[in-house]
Amino acid sequence: MKNHWVEYLTGIITVKATGKGLERFLNKLMKSGISIWYIKKHGLHTITFQISLKKIHHLRRIVRGSGLKIEFQRRAGAPFLYKRLWKNSGFVLGVFLFIGLVLTLSNMVWGIEIKGANPATEYQIRKQLDKMDIKIGKFQFFTKELDEIQAELTNNINAITWVGVELKGTTYHFQVVEKDEPKKREEEVPQNLVAAKKATIVDDFVEEGSKRYSMNEVVKKGQLLVAGTIGKEDNTKVVSAKGKIWGETWYNTDVEIPLETIFQVFNGKEKEKHFLNLGKWEVPVWGFGKVEFKQYEQEENTKPIKFFKWELPIQVVNKTYREKEEVVRGYSEKEAIQKGLEDARKDILKRIGEDGKIKEEKILQQQIKNGKVKIKIAFTTIENIAKAQPLKQGDTE
Amino acid sequence: MERGSFFMAKKWGHSLRNWMNKNLELPQDVMMDLPRITMIGQIHIYVENHRGLITFSDKELRLLLKQGQLLIKGKGFVIKTILPEEILLEGKIDQVLYINE
Repeated sequence: MKNHWVEYLTGIITVKATGKGLERFLNKLMKSGISIWYIKKHGLHTITFQISLKKIHHLRRIVRGSGLKIEFQRRAGAPFLYKRLWKNSGFVLGVFLFIGLVLTLSNMVWGIEIKGANPATEYQIRKQLDKMDIKIGKFQFFTKELDEIQAELTNNINAITWVGVELKGTTYHFQVVEKDEPKKREEEVPQNLVAAKKATIVDDFVEEGSKRYSMNEVVKKGQLLVAGTIGKEDNTKVVSAKGKIWGETWYNTDVEIPLETIFQVFNGKEKEKHFLNLGKWEVPVWGFGKVEFKQYEQEENTKPIKFFKWELPIQVVNKTYREKEEVVRGYSEKEAIQKGLEDARKDILKRIGEDGKIKEEKILQQQIKNGKVKIKIAFTTIENIAKAQPLKQGDTE
Repeated sequence: MERGSFFMAKKWGHSLRNWMNKNLELPQDVMMDLPRITMIGQIHIYVENHRGLITFSDKELRLLLKQGQLLIKGKGFVIKTILPEEILLEGKIDQVLYINE
């Protein structure tokens, strides 16, 4: 038996033939090599059969002289199927367009909600988000990761302590905790001022309390400087001693500066690649070719594609390759010392506080060893040495 | 005389074929130009080596053979395939008759 699937591809037509001499007609068809199949007789003078679409011309030629009438009944097979598909293509196109539209809209940013911020902060946050390209109507694939957004917001806006970032569907929710900046109230606690370290007193400014030192006196650590008790013997009063006492202090610092330092820096060259992640397969969409960087860092950003609120098992992956380069920084001996001094100064200023000053600096020792410059520096500084010490109840001194 | 010798030749050829059949054990349909009929139960009949269609209806199929005719009777006949020397008939076959005229 023969399956007619080959004919199906080229098209099959069901033909109805009416008239006399049907058997003769069938014999003629047979002899001219036109294959027909599924021949059925309906009544005396009618047959139906199937024939390949390609043989229709031959059929017509044979029919012409026979006095039969033919009629085409049913068309089946690929060409007709294709025609029907084409006819219905508008509908199919519509379906695809609709899915496409839903996909597009599901993956956009449709709302930014900020909670817990006052209008001024909210405005700042919105401005910052604009800068990060998080706007209504943008695609979510190209926005940063949530924790990056969070970090950028907290770093750039001083008024907020913490911000919770959440992406629910197509809306970003920001939960802001603002800094409550209370005015610093100096507590009126009965207290003394004592020396925080050994120093020579050079200057002072006492607001309250009675001085217990003289100028240029060398004080020890923990020595009472300003007492919180004022008044004469019987008529004493306890106050909160306040003031600044400037003392000359000394620091020795050791600094080590390597003459040559190797840094890894990005040289600004980067390559971006976009992929679609389908289960195990990564289908490149944009950005082809090999990464030709010798040394590079790779950053990957994966975002799922959403359909309405559901996440599809397809992800958009953006990969960024940044080229790294090794840079050797070399110092001459002089530069190294200069750098060492700078570092040391910064370090000292950090230790003596904002209102401290460096009065004098002196390099005590310097040597080069193993490609490093070692220097020992002595600093003479002036800083506030007053430290609060609460007075206990019943303390008179 | 001429006619006679032609007839003789034909007869001679026939007997040669008969002899070959007997001694070479070749299938008879090949040698003798006979129809080969294959039936699958009552539902299919496959006839090879026919010489054309004489009548066809849903109850009857008459085929011309080299010698005589073949008559197939039954119900709901449909010719599944027809080729110059082959025919495949489907339906419910009741009888297969040889008609020698």
